[in-house]
Parts: sequence; C-alpha cells; structure tokens
Amino acid sequence: MKQNKDHSEEGTAHISSFRDHWSTLVTLLLLTIVTVVISVFGANLAALSVATALLIATVKVIVVAYYFMHLKYEKKIYTWLILLVVVLFAAFTILTALEYYNR
Amino acid sequence: MTAVSTHLNFFQTKKGIFSWIFSVDHKRIALLYFYSLITFFLVGVTLGLLMRYELLNPGKDLVEAKTYNQIFTMHGVIMIFLFIIPSIPAVFGNFFLPIMLGTDDVSFPRLNLLSWWIYVIGALMALSTLLFGDGPADTGWTFYAPYSVKTGTNVTMSVLAAFVIGFSSILTGLNFIVTIHRLRTPGMTFLKMPLFAWSLYATSWIQLLATPIIGITLLMIVAERVLGVGLFDPSIGGDPILYQHLFWIYSHPAVYIMALPAFGVISEMLPTFSQRTIFGYKAIAFSSLAIAFVGYFIWGHHMFTSGMSGTARFVFSMLTFLVAIPTAIKVFNWVATLYKGSINVQPPLLYTLAFIFQFMIGGFTGLVLGALATDIHLHDTYFVVGHFHYVMFGGTGFAFFGALHYWYPKIWGKMYNIKVANVAFVIFFIGFNMLYFPMLIAGLMGMPRRYYDYLPEFHLPNMISTYGSWVLAVGLILMLSNLVAGLLKKNQNVGRNPWNGITLEWQTLSPPPLENFDRMPEIPLNGPYDFEHKPEIKD
Amino acid sequence: MEHAHGLHLPNSGHNRDDEASKMGMWLFLFTELLLFGGLFIVYMVYRMLNHEAFLLSSFELNVWLGTINTVVLLVSSMTIAMSITAIQKGNSAQSIRLLMTTVGLSLLFLVIKYFEWSSKIHHGLFPGMDYYNNLPKGEALFFFLYFMMTGLHALHIIIGGILIGVVAYRTKKGEVTSKKYTLTENAGLYWHLVDLIWIYLFPLFYLIH
Repeated sequence: MKQNKDHSEEGTAHISSFRDHWSTLVTLLLLTIVTVVISVFGANLAALSVATALLIATVKVIVVAYYFMHLKYEKKIYTWLILLVVVLFAAFTILTALEYYNR
Repeated sequence: MTAVSTHLNFFQTKKGIFSWIFSVDHKRIALLYFYSLITFFLVGVTLGLLMRYELLNPGKDLVEAKTYNQIFTMHGVIMIFLFIIPSIPAVFGNFFLPIMLGTDDVSFPRLNLLSWWIYVIGALMALSTLLFGDGPADTGWTFYAPYSVKTGTNVTMSVLAAFVIGFSSILTGLNFIVTIHRLRTPGMTFLKMPLFAWSLYATSWIQLLATPIIGITLLMIVAERVLGVGLFDPSIGGDPILYQHLFWIYSHPAVYIMALPAFGVISEMLPTFSQRTIFGYKAIAFSSLAIAFVGYFIWGHHMFTSGMSGTARFVFSMLTFLVAIPTAIKVFNWVATLYKGSINVQPPLLYTLAFIFQFMIGGFTGLVLGALATDIHLHDTYFVVGHFHYVMFGGTGFAFFGALHYWYPKIWGKMYNIKVANVAFVIFFIGFNMLYFPMLIAGLMGMPRRYYDYLPEFHLPNMISTYGSWVLAVGLILMLSNLVAGLLKKNQNVGRNPWNGITLEWQTLSPPPLENFDRMPEIPLNGPYDFEHKPEIKD
Repeated sequence: MEHAHGLHLPNSGHNRDDEASKMGMWLFLFTELLLFGGLFIVYMVYRMLNHEAFLLSSFELNVWLGTINTVVLLVSSMTIAMSITAIQKGNSAQSIRLLMTTVGLSLLFLVIKYFEWSSKIHHGLFPGMDYYNNLPKGEALFFFLYFMMTGLHALHIIIGGILIGVVAYRTKKGEVTSKKYTLTENAGLYWHLVDLIWIYLFPLFYLIH
C-alpha cells in the first residue's frame, strides 16, 4: 500500500461533524468549570488540589488530542509515539523529583 | 565508460556557487556540510594543539590562564556543537541515507537546506565571539552556572549560537525520521534496512526529543544574564544543580547522537571488508534503539560530585551500567562478523578495527567513571578527558575518517593512494594513542582537568601527550593531503563498486546522477547483507 | 542524456506526500512539548523548594481573566477543527470564515493577556524592575517563570495566528481544497498544541490556591 507512486490519495480521511466538535467543546468547558470551582471554592484539599488540577488538565488534554487532533482516527503509530514522549518526559520529572525529594 | 558518459553526475548538472548554497539536492547539501565541518574541525584541532603546547611544561609556555580557559572553551564548543554532533549524520547520513533506502532525496528537501543555513548562521555566531564583544566564553563548553552568569566574557553570544545550532540538529533528525518511515523503496521493510539507516533512525529520535531541553535551558542562561533573575545563581535564590540537571538531560543523550551514527558506519564497513553477512543483524539494529532509550535516564552520572542527593546518585549509577549491555552486544557482533570472513585489508577496515579497539578503551573507562565510588576519586581529572576523547575522537572521529575513506570513491568517483592512506592511518593511530593514553594515567595520578598549569610530578605524561599531539597532526595532514591529491587526479573510473559492497549505493554510478539511480535498485533477497544473493552489478 | 531523467523512483522525496507532512508536523510538536517541558521541570523544582512563596504569589494572579482566556482558547480550538471539517466537505468559504474566527479569538486572547501583563508590570513585578528585585527569592522565581512561560506561550499564539491567517489566504486563492488540505490540518495541529500547553499553564499558575 505504501508503494503507491503518489501518496496523496492514501485512505479516506475521517470527517468529524460540527456536532461532534460542539460536544467536545462542551465537555472541555465543563471540565474547566469543575477545575476552577474546586480551586476557588473547594479549598482545603491541601496538596491534593494540585494533583486534582493536573489530573483534570490531563483529561482535557486527552480529549483535545483524541478528538480535535484526530488521534482517534489516525494510525496507531502516532499514539505510540506520543506515549513514548510522555514516558520520556515523565522519566525526566520523576528522576529530577527523586533527587530533590531526597536532598 | 559509455554508461558514465551518458549520465551527468550531480556535480555536473548545474554550475556556480548559487547552485550549491541554494541546492535542495541532499548530496550537495551533504558536501556543503562536509566542507564546513572540516573547516571547523581544523580550527578545533589547532586550538587543541595550542592547549597541548601550553601543557608541555609546568608553568607558562605560551598563553595566560584566562586565554587558556577561552581556548579550551572554544575547542569544546567547536568540536562538540560544530563538528561531532552534526558530523556523520549531516555528511554521510545526508548523502547516503536516501541512496541506501533506494530513493532520490529526503522527505523535506527544502527543510534540509534550511538546516544547513541555520547551522552556518549558528557557527558564525559562535566564531563572532572571537572578534566582537568581551572575548570568547571562558566557562568550558558546559556553560555551568553560576560562573556562566557572572563571567564578563561573551557567554550570551556563545549560548545563543548553541541554541541556533540546536535547531539545525532538530530539523535534520525530523527529516530523517520521516524519510525512513515514508521513502523506503518497495520491498525494503524496516528489517531489510541497512544498519546505518537504523543507527540514524535511533540518533534522529535523540536529536528530536533531547535538543529542545538544552534550547530552553540556554535561553534561561541568557535571561539570567540579561535580566539578573536568580534562576541558577545561588546568591540570588537559584539552584546551580538544576542547571546541571537540565544541561545533562540533553547532553548525555547527545553523547549517543555522537556515537550511534559511528556504530552504523562500522556496521556497514565490516560486512563489506569481510565479504559476509553481519553477525546478529537484529541485535545490532535493536541495540541502537535500546541505547537511545536508556541513554535518556542516566544523565545524573555527570553530577556525582555536585552535591546531588545520595539516593539519586545510587539510582543513576545503577542505570548507567544498563547502557553497557546493548553497547557490548554491538562489539561482540562486530568481532563475530570478522570470524571466517574473507577479510580484505583496506584503509576503511583499518579505521574500523582502530575504532573497535579505541572505543572499547573508552567504554571500559566509562564503566570506571559510572561506578559511584571510583568516580568520586576520578571526577574532573584527566582520566575523564582521556575517557571521552577515546569515545568521541577514537570512536566517532575514527569512524568519520573511516567512512570518508570508504565512501570517497562513491562521492567523488575517484580513488586516493591506498598505500599513503595506510601509512597516514598508522601515524594517526600512534599519535592518537600517544596523545590520550597518558591522560588516563595522569588522571589516575590525580591531575585535575581544565587547569592551565600542573604540579611537576605530572610532567612526564603531559610531555608524552604533547609529543603525541604532534604525531597525530602529522598523520592528519598526511591523510587529508592524500585525499585532496586523489581529487586532483584526472580521467579516473573507479566503477560502481570498488569495494564489492552490497548496500544500494554501490549499484549506482560513481558519482551518482542527480536522481541517485540510473536504473531501479535491486534489494538482496534475505536482508541487506545477504552476500549469497548479491544482485549482479554491471558497469 | 535524456534517459537519465527517465528513471522515476516509486518513493521519491519530491512526490506529494500528505502523510509525510503530517508526520513531520507531529514530530515538530514533540519538540515543542519538550521545549516547554524543560520549563515545567524548572517550575516543579522551584515549587518544591519554595512551596509557600509560590502559593502566596499565585494569589496575585487574576483567576477570572485566566479562566476567560482558557475558554477563548478552547473555543478557538473548536473553530479551527470545524474549519478542517468545512474544507474536507469542500466548503472553502465556510472554512475561511472559521479560520478568521480563530484568528480573531487569538487576538482576543492576546488583548486579555496584555491587560493582565500590564497590571503586573504596573506593580513592578517584571524581572529586573526595582520592586521585583526586592521580592523574596521564591516569589521572584514565581514571577520570572510566570512571565517566561506565558510569554513563550504568547509568542506561540502570535506565530499560530499568523500561520492560520496564511492558511485562510491560501484557501481563498484556491491552493487549499477538499483534495489538498494538509496545510489546514497542520495549522490545526499546531493551534491545538498551543491550547494543550495553556491547559497545563492555567492550573499551575492560577489555580494552586
């Protein structure tokens, strides 16, 4: 399949509908409201509040990548490569944090 | 001869300086890189010889301490950022990756040209510190804070130069990854790619994913110098060890940007000069990826004496030993390839064998430094200087010159004098070992690195080392003049395949035509080194 | 001499290859992620070392302006995703309208950012100003990182806005069509990345109460 002389016609791209885009946006806005409400009014979660905020941010990022950036419909290799980048960055932060945590 | 005369090669298609500096042909861009790299290499060598001359005797021989600091910084910056990081990928990768994959160019030819221009701009920025401002940086190529944010020399420009050159490195890596994914000739699966392509693939991923970290770190140094923020300077609230972390998160993987392409070149030359398939193709291919991956997690071994926490030192030391495994796999496979081969001793093979010998010394001394306890004793001594020159110069440098001798007839369609090349190699080899082996001894004796002076008891190893640098220079001059003399010969026809190689570049004309091939390349039946089913190559 | 040009290699670097363009864009996005990644590591370390000061400084930032900007970016992410849908369906005019909406939203983001920054600068919080230089070390680091990270992000917004404008112009000229819309897709990917980074910047600077 890769051997075609011209790659422009390869496969047929998935076309997301406007409706899909609207629902993605609504999801993202809801998550934003949740994270702001927890931070401003929830208070007293102490250290957990950062963890919660980052967790919600990560969910938002996954939604954006999966739907807006079409990862859902792309070849699997892109997902794997993104995971590789995430693993590397996680390793950088974990190893660095390990150092500072044990000073 | 008829076949040769009916095709214009890539030198002949267009003439004039602009047809070169604005060319999008990967072969011409490779040669642009080659000529610029060699120029900077010679500047770096000259600076190195000056340093060695200063260290000939205790006390002042030639220059002041501050000048010495600037010389070794320039030597490091030029050799690392301008020569060895781009060396094999930008020259031989650019030239041969598309040909070995059976295609006519990289995926993004214009981006490829842009990379070279960015490289040149960065190089000019680095060299401009020699002429303008408050003199070149005197920090060492690592730009360690807080000295780099306090010294009066022109650190800002040097750092920005490194930042700009980083972009060139990123774009080359990006281009190669996409090329390997998209442009392999029909039938060439990943596991039928030559090992040079595999090593470039692994290298490109490091270039792509590690370089941005150094980019942003260097920008922070600039911000700190310009705005006076306490990012890394402890006296105004920063943490200098954080700089070291960020620096080595890039610069340790960068060691593999320098080494992996050399492994690839060696894996090409060994089958050709043994006339048999490489031993353990998959093991070599996957160990490149393994080295690239593990290389990201071991940066802390550069910081054992920095005041980093004990736990982290222990973890980084353990992880460091992991990288020895895939590296040893490669060495065993290379040596096993020679076994029962029809060995043809030619200059490229001599460089290959010297590579294996010297790289092993570099590797073993690396284990000594990776072990926490011994490193406390040896850190920042000449042992480290000896170690990394054995890896970088004895390894990658020798692989670079080996590759130059190997692909020379393909690139220029001419042949150098083999006997002279052999003699030059022997002098070069002796000079190299005379220059760097005494450094290991001086380091064990406790001589610290980066000092412009030393105690009298270190005189002997330093003397031998400086004499060695002169032998090395003689060997280098002889080697390069022999190569230049080869180019001046007229009416030569080396044929398509002077070494009886098997990868696709040997199926086309020497020098190749603009489109790389004059007929469809044929891939061997069972993998790239299947000498038993070698496609017949007629001139 | 002619037949030298006769050989056409099947996988040529000079062929049109949309998949290669997209892959190149993704790889470029990886480098962008790690560029910001370096700053996130610095943020993490200094937050560990100056926990209280970071908490205190974050109260200086205006959560509502931050939230509004988050919403602006999320909506703009949707409009550019819609413009890809439109061009895929062959509706160039609609695609251009959606692209220009995205550009408009990027300008709105920058205007809000401008008011935020200028009120901080008015208080002397920009690195190098007198008030800044007398801040406790932890707070100084917080504001340096705030300006550096949101500044670098704003630079990406500007570049993205210009890029999207170019795409709209080329769509108008008919160079981007339902058969050839990689440019729109790549501009979209870039814009989403800018959004992604903001999604992390927002809680880390504004919401760590």
